[in-house]
This record gives sequence, C-alpha cells and structure tokens, in this order.
Amino acid sequence: MTNPILEVRNVSKRFGGVEALRDVSLEVKRGSITGLIGPNGSGKSTLFNVITGFYKPDSGSVYFEGRRIDGLNPNEIYNIGIARTFQIPRLFGSLTTLENMMLSPRGQKGESLLRAPLRKAWVNEELQIANEVKNLLKEFNMDGAYRMVASSLSGGHVKMVETSKGILGRAKLILLDEPTAGVHYAVGRSLFEYISYLRKTANLTFFIIEHRIDLLFDYVDYVYVLHMGRLLSQGTPEEVASDPKVIEAYIGGA
Amino acid sequence: MFDIVSFLVSWFPIFSIYAILALCLNMEIGYTGMANFGLVAFYAIGAFVAGYTSMTIFLSFYGYNYPIYSLDAIITMGKIAGRTPWLNISVFILSLILAFLVAGLAGYLVSFPTLRVGPAFLGITILSFGEMLRVFMKHFQPTGGSYGLLGIPHPFAWVSDPLIKNLLFVIVTLVILILVFIYFELLANSPYGRALKSIREDEIASLCLGKPVPRIKAELLFVASGVSGIAGALYVFYLGSVAPDMFVTAVTFEVWSMVILGGRGNNMGAILGALIFSLLNRATAILNFIFLDLLIDPNYIRWMITGILIIIVLMYRPKGILAEKTVKTDAWRIFGEAQRDWDRITAMIQVANRYLKRAFHWLIGRETK
Ligand SMILES: Nc1ncnc2c1ncn2[C@@H]1O[C@H](COP(=O)(O)OP(=O)(O)O)[C@@H](O)[C@H]1O
Ligand SMILES: [Mg+2]
Repeated sequence: MTNPILEVRNVSKRFGGVEALRDVSLEVKRGSITGLIGPNGSGKSTLFNVITGFYKPDSGSVYFEGRRIDGLNPNEIYNIGIARTFQIPRLFGSLTTLENMMLSPRGQKGESLLRAPLRKAWVNEELQIANEVKNLLKEFNMDGAYRMVASSLSGGHVKMVETSKGILGRAKLILLDEPTAGVHYAVGRSLFEYISYLRKTANLTFFIIEHRIDLLFDYVDYVYVLHMGRLLSQGTPEEVASDPKVIEAYIGGA
Repeated sequence: MFDIVSFLVSWFPIFSIYAILALCLNMEIGYTGMANFGLVAFYAIGAFVAGYTSMTIFLSFYGYNYPIYSLDAIITMGKIAGRTPWLNISVFILSLILAFLVAGLAGYLVSFPTLRVGPAFLGITILSFGEMLRVFMKHFQPTGGSYGLLGIPHPFAWVSDPLIKNLLFVIVTLVILILVFIYFELLANSPYGRALKSIREDEIASLCLGKPVPRIKAELLFVASGVSGIAGALYVFYLGSVAPDMFVTAVTFEVWSMVILGGRGNNMGAILGALIFSLLNRATAILNFIFLDLLIDPNYIRWMITGILIIIVLMYRPKGILAEKTVKTDAWRIFGEAQRDWDRITAMIQVANRYLKRAFHWLIGRETK
C-alpha cells in the first residue's frame, strides 16, 4: 500500500457569506495522477490556494509527507516540494524563457544577497541548471525559444514552461489548475501525455484541476468531485462518471 | 571664460551623488518594482548622520563641549578642521559607514510593515515618512533645527591648495560611484538579480517559486537605502553643511526622472539620466546669471525642460534611453551566447583593483617616509 503524499483533513474556508470549502477531506497517493473536478465556483482553486499556503483554512489541516503544512507561507510550501501552476499562467512576462526557467530550481546559492556578487560561489550550479533547461527545451521542441520574452510565447509553449517549473524545482507534488484551458485540444492531449510520461520517469505526483473531463479521465487514477464547497463524490474515473450525483450536479448546477 | 577644472570640481561631485541615488532607485524600482517615493528620507538620514558624527568627533577630540550647532562650534571648526589629516580621513570613512548603516536600517524598518502588501503602500508610506522626517528635523535641536549644521570638516581640509583639495574629493566620489556601480551590476547579473526581476514582474508567482519575497525586498531596501545614505554623507562633506530643507520631496522625483529617462532596469541608464539632469541643472543655473532680469525662477524652467524631455524620450523610447537588458549570468554560455557584459565588469573590477592598490601603496609610502 502506498501512503498518501498529501492529506487534506476536514478543511473549511469561507469568504464572508460564501462557504468556499466545507469540511473537505481527501488524499493524494504518491506517484498518482489525481483529478479534481466540479462545476465553476465549487471551490477547486480555493482548495489549491489552501494547500499552497495562500489561504489559511478556517479549520482543518493539511499534511504533506506526514508533516503538517497549513500555516506555512507559499514560498516555504514550494521549498518542501509542492509546485503549482495557476489557472491563468503566470510567467514573468518581460523576462526571457531562459530566465523564467532558471528561476524554478529551489535553494539556489546565488540567490542569497551575500553570495550573489561572488560569481565563484554559484557559477557551477548556474551552468548545471542552464544545461538542464537546455535539455528540457529540446524535449519540448522549443530550442530556439530560450531568448524570447515569455509574453511573446505561444499558448502551448507557455503551458510547457509553466509545467517545467515543477520539474526544475524538483517538486514531489505538482498541482495544476486547469492546465489545458485556452489551448487547442491536441495540445492539451500532448500535455497530458507528457504529464503521464513524467509520472513514470521522474516519480512525480500530480493533482490536477481540469474542465476537459474527457481528456482528464483518460489519464487519471483517481478523481475527487467538489460541489458547492463539499466533496460530492470520489473514485476511479469509471466510478465517478457513473455516479448519478455527479451527473446531476453537472447538469443541474452552475 | 569657461574654466573646465573649476566646472569639474563643482559639478562632478553633485553628478556622482545623483548618479549613486539613481542607481539605488534603479535597483528598487527598475529591478524589484518597489516604488520608493521617499528616497530623499534615506539620503537625508545619511546626511545628518555624517554631519552629526563628524562635528561631534572633531569637537570632542579637541576638547570643546559647545553644542555642535552653536556659532562657537562653527568658528572653532574653521580653526581645527585642517590640523589633523588622519582624523579628517578617519571621520570621513566612519561617517560613510555609519550613514550606510543607519539609513539602511531606517529603510528596513520603515518598509517592514508594508512588505507583505502591494507596492503602492510601500511608496506612500516612505513618501510620508520622508516628509515627516524633514519636518521633525526642523524642530530637532541636537542637529540645529531648521538651520541645520555648518562647518562640517571637509575630508581634505588639510590640503592647502583648494584646487587639489576639491580634485581629491572628485576622485573620492568617482571611486565610490564606480564601486557602487560594480556592486549593483554584480547583484543584478546574478541569480539574485533574476529573483529581483521576478518580484517586479509578478510577486505572487515569485513567491510560488519559493522566493522569500518579503525578505528579499527588505534586504534590497536595506542595501539601497544604505547606499542612498552614503550619497547623503558625500553631499554633506561636499557642501560643508546640512539643513532639513535640502531634502524636500522634489529631490526624490528628480531622481525618478533620471531613472525613467535613462532607462529603468539599466544601471548605465541611471548614470546617464543623472548626467543629463545634472548638466541641465548647471545650464539653467547659468541662465540665471546671463539673464539677470529673468521673469521666472530657473528652477521652473528646469522642471519644464525635465517634463518635456521625459515626454519626448518616452514617446520614441518607452523604455528610456538605454533599454533594460537580460540578466547576464553564465547560463547564456550554455546557449552559446557570449558574455560581453560580464567580461566588461570583470575587466572593470581588475582595473579598479589595480588603482586602489596603487593608491594604497602611495598612501602607505607617504606615511612611512
Ligand atoms: N479571495 C476570495 N474572496 C472572496 N470569495 C472568494 C475568493 N476566492 C474564491 N471565492 C469564492 O469561493 C467560491 C469558490 O471559488 P473557486 O475556488 O475559485 O472555485 P472554482 O475554482 O472551483 O471555480 C466562489 O464562490 C468564489 O466566488
Ligand atoms: Mg478555479
């Protein structure tokens, strides 16, 4: 039996009158691709924001590799191995692809104020990261894009760079918020192909919010369904797809 | 007749001081996106720290216990300022160090409450801090209230030839400017500089890549405010006096104009902006002499020209005269891109190093003779 890499226990979060999350408990198994679906406004992004330290839950707790992490800051969450992407990609628009990708590795020696002016202290690490970036870009078939500013990249390339953050950052768990939103179906599929390739080769775990359920269900091991802030259903894609509650929520809901 | 040397000794220190301030602001706004609208506060703190320190040490060294702002103190300083060269130099160096530390600490403390919120809060908080500080200093008797301090000992007051004395000061400001430039270039072209730019671009995304954004901002404010303090100290030693009304908010916006015109995110641009505006200052001041019956204050003409210049430059070059460059680290080598900028910096360091050594040996050689 694999122990869960991430555990969410009885998490509630409200914004004024809106109960965005209510007593949500779930777990993500190590090495899995786990899906999170639900109609608009059901609390999916809020759950990601709680896990990554942007919101403190009103009650409940979050555990990563057995360690309690609610209360940590977003940067601390990244540094223990949880990377995330945003629903709307957030690359550093006027920086080049290379600079964007070089920012992902955590705990870089040259990122300290005192060591930064001493090139000797960080140059080897820098060259090593740059090599890794170069190989990744080759893998993405975007070799020439390294010197393009991020704001001029195509939608598909933006998604690749965004996904690469987790790889370069040596994340153990990667949270993706609607990774295929705004890109062509075929691009979305190749992104999911890449995700499942990474899961196998790089021993990564993925927790993915996705609106394209047909696409998601081809790749996930397990799915959670949120509805109006509550956990409505869970199971394998087949189980969830045939759950009448889920069908009703999607047809009758928002 | 236009005398180039006397122009140099009166203009160059002012240019260097503004260039140092522009470099500091550039690190804050150009690289990190922190809108420091109260830069003048840290400049003022450095200035007052230097004035206070040097007057106090000099007077107590010679056993006088006049208040440092008193007429007696000013007259006495006129007599004792040139007697002990080693004291002048040590007091000068100590003042620069203290100005850096106190101004840096102030930058850190003032900004601390605003580091976790958006950039607008930071800007407004520091802006009001600057004004409050100025008004406070006007009523703060230990540094002379609104009259400030006079008779601050020039670091080279012991040199009898005024031209050489002033030239030495030009050299000192030049060396400090170069050192600040090199240090900021090294910071900017490192993984740290890259992290700074990521904060400017998108604080949240930067946080999500593990960058301790509030800490980095605080560190940078410490360094940049500290260096602004050094600029303030230099200004005080240049003028020989310091008073609260030298530090009005307009100074901050003058430095902003330099950075915007020269090119945000480009250290050379900041220096270029300072060069243009300090020359413009001189030119409008000269106007005053030529047209004695000028109806408008040359200051207004200067501000008008400043505005027009910025509009024209930004129309054709929205990024400023010198556009921002990529963060030059060795990563580019992996992609087969030459490191011209990097090589230039290393060469500059070597040259600076050589001259510093030579100057050092020269000083030592004189001491032992
Ligand atoms: N920062 C916030 N302030 C107020 N309300 C919020 C905030 N974030 C989310 N909400 C509300 O919480 C609910 C869930 O939102 P969200 O998690 O974004 O849903 P989803 O990602 O599933 O579409 C919505 O009603 C939304 O309006
Ligand atoms: Mg959402």
